[in-house]
Amino acid sequence: MKPDINIALLNAAQEIINRFSPLIDDEYEKSRLSSWGALILISAMKFNDSGSSLKQENADILDWLVKFTNLDEDDISKCGYKATSDIQDVSLIDADNQTLRGLLDKEIVVLEGNGDTEGLKASYLLMRSMHQRRKVSDLIGLLQESES
Amino acid sequence: MPEELSSLFLSYYSKLIGKECILLSFERIFGGASRETYKIEVSHDENKIERLILRVTQDSSLIETDQKTEYLAYSAYQDSSVPVPVLLDMSEDNDILGAPFMLMEELQGAAASPFTPDVYSPYEVELGEQFWSILGEIAKKEIHEDIFKSFHGELKEPCWKNELDKWAKVIREDTISVEPILEAGIRSLYKNPPKEPERITMVHGDYRSGNFLYLDNQITGILDWEMAHLGNPLEDLAWALSPIWSWQAKERPAYLIEKEKAIEIWQNSSNINLDRKDLAWWELFAAIKGMAIWISAGNEFKSGKNIDPINLFSAWIPGDIHLEVILDILEDSL
Repeated sequence: MKPDINIALLNAAQEIINRFSPLIDDEYEKSRLSSWGALILISAMKFNDSGSSLKQENADILDWLVKFTNLDEDDISKCGYKATSDIQDVSLIDADNQTLRGLLDKEIVVLEGNGDTEGLKASYLLMRSMHQRRKVSDLIGLLQESES
Repeated sequence: MPEELSSLFLSYYSKLIGKECILLSFERIFGGASRETYKIEVSHDENKIERLILRVTQDSSLIETDQKTEYLAYSAYQDSSVPVPVLLDMSEDNDILGAPFMLMEELQGAAASPFTPDVYSPYEVELGEQFWSILGEIAKKEIHEDIFKSFHGELKEPCWKNELDKWAKVIREDTISVEPILEAGIRSLYKNPPKEPERITMVHGDYRSGNFLYLDNQITGILDWEMAHLGNPLEDLAWALSPIWSWQAKERPAYLIEKEKAIEIWQNSSNINLDRKDLAWWELFAAIKGMAIWISAGNEFKSGKNIDPINLFSAWIPGDIHLEVILDILEDSL
């Protein structure tokens, strides 16, 4: 079995940070290269689950729309949602994701207009879980390590 | 580019001061996303080294601002209680160095990363008292009439709408994804506007940790005025207080002193009575404005216009944090 892409990225980042960056005298170029090293490190950590995370996000938004709005799956399909399940094709899942996010935004506007506090709370919970799954800011420590 | 720039600079500077100069060093500083900043050492006398800072407008920058804006803002605070570098020259002419630029004397001190906890240790208290007091001084300062008029041309009241419209437009133009959290935040701001300030003041526009120089326990300079404008002083206060600048110790904004103490110092220094509800509006606004900046950075990177890693970093890390800040505020408001 071939080495995984994330392992290749991880090793590349480590080489950049620990081996090549210290060889550079120019402070600007050195800082710039170290930043690339840290960003590649973050990419490596998130690479493997990017497709499955997006697919899970789509499933969660779809569930929420069906539960908290007047839309059913047919209505959502008519808006362009294709229910892509092949996680190898991230661009198709992402296209579905943008459709679902657009619908979510529109439905939150309706909840705000109706003063539906419970619905809004549920939408914030959904958005919190979406953000938690997607965010890379919890890896900020990696950047700090590369600076030092 | 730096080699070509350095020889252009040497020729320009020799002409400016009317003496032949020797260039001792010419180094770009990493970090800033709106200007290319260079640290320069020149000599025209064997016994004297001049240390200068050159700020050059980038072809593709994170925040599109005129060089003149920054120059005028620095001008407004020369010889005041707000420490700023001494200005030497400014030009909006592309023919001299290839792009508009500003030249200043270098101040002593270092700038820290705004994302590194405990970076000001063991001087958090002394630096914190100065940081919040200087911000009050910025708001309190009477701006010279000529400078005020130069800025006032851009001011359409109310201040809050002027700023919110501006940054919402950046988001609309540069966004590459639908972001429901951000949209909900923008709607909330338009629905619940704050009061206008009693007095329109100069707003630094990016007053935060990382944008000041310090030497041990002393703040030696307030930098990066390129987003300066006239407006509501609470805008600066809320931006500086934003949890993004102390994400790993939120109780101490800017990784300095506790929030309530910071606000008390700012009130005493600015002589402004704080309206907490208005401050809350500006705190949400700060996160929206931040998102506009980070989205703009992501767009620059994705489109290939500027692949500086700082643009990718901005879209990833600060973009994530400010989105979380918006969500926290929206949840608390329910």
